[in-house]
Amino acid sequence: MELTPRGLMRKPPEQHNAGKMPGLMTQTFSFDATDLNIVEQLRKNGRANNQQIAELLGLTATTVSTRIKRMEDANQLRVVAVSDFTAHGFNVLLRISVEIDGRPASDVAHELAALPEVFAVHIVTGRYDIDMLVALHDFEDLSHFMLDRLSGIQGIRALTPAIVVDISKYQFDVAPIEAKE
Amino acid sequence: MAAPTLDTLDQQLIDLLSRDARVSNRKIAAELGVTEGTVRGRIKRLQQDGLIAFTAITGFEMAKRARLAFINVQADVDKVREVARAIADIPQVNAVLITMGQFNITAMCLVDELDALVEIASDQILTIKGVHHVETSIAVKTIKYNARMAKITRPMEVVDED
Repeated sequence: MELTPRGLMRKPPEQHNAGKMPGLMTQTFSFDATDLNIVEQLRKNGRANNQQIAELLGLTATTVSTRIKRMEDANQLRVVAVSDFTAHGFNVLLRISVEIDGRPASDVAHELAALPEVFAVHIVTGRYDIDMLVALHDFEDLSHFMLDRLSGIQGIRALTPAIVVDISKYQFDVAPIEAKE
Repeated sequence: MAAPTLDTLDQQLIDLLSRDARVSNRKIAAELGVTEGTVRGRIKRLQQDGLIAFTAITGFEMAKRARLAFINVQADVDKVREVARAIADIPQVNAVLITMGQFNITAMCLVDELDALVEIASDQILTIKGVHHVETSIAVKTIKYNARMAKITRPMEVVDED
């Protein structure tokens, strides 16, 4: 998510997405300069209407609308409200590294992903097998999470938790996009 | 982290806008049975309080080379804040968490190739004063990821609508 102040977001898209877009372009969907300019405007203000974007870029509102729809339909763009963890009442964040034993990592990862408290699960390289981020309302939820949720999943050998005490930066504007419901 | 007071209408607004931020105030107002002015005012307040921000997310599942990487950092406890700030200043780093655990800082970044990760971890982070150990791991598969929820570190500039 791009949550930087305005000044930073004015960088031209080719610099902003350095190294990422070529990967996209080798796939079936390709962005052209107009698409990238529209995306850049949407990152600055996702609620700008088509007419406002059109005026800034010297396009017609119809072009803007068509381009946005095309990118959305290809599951390459979502213009969304990103909400803060605290807006959901989550005051405790944990990063937990998981070591597994006797089961495929993806089986365990899918069971972890099904838990509502777990909001990110990645299969990773290195000394651990799975890395996950967990959001809880408060520390009292921890025993329930550990003893009722995690204990029901087979194949977890060890958990190495880290309590998130401060977040200095959190900006992701590239993410897996699920198909539209 | 002050506990925000969000009522049902706020929650409904967040829910609607997290699916599609480009719905007009008029449509939201009709759907939720409130006036357009209420919708506009609520959205503005949520933005000002740093509880929501609007953005465009582009897909990375199709970009086979865009990999999420974790950089686990052990830094001197008395320098954690400065080190975290220095890591956050690296443009390629997307997230920096200060943690209590085996490592005291986690940095996350999206990289195209291994070289880029090595450059960030070894050349940039390991050379910061106060850092004494760095470990990396790469997400080979993402099973779950909620891009709609984040830490809004700085409230976005509020742009007046309509």
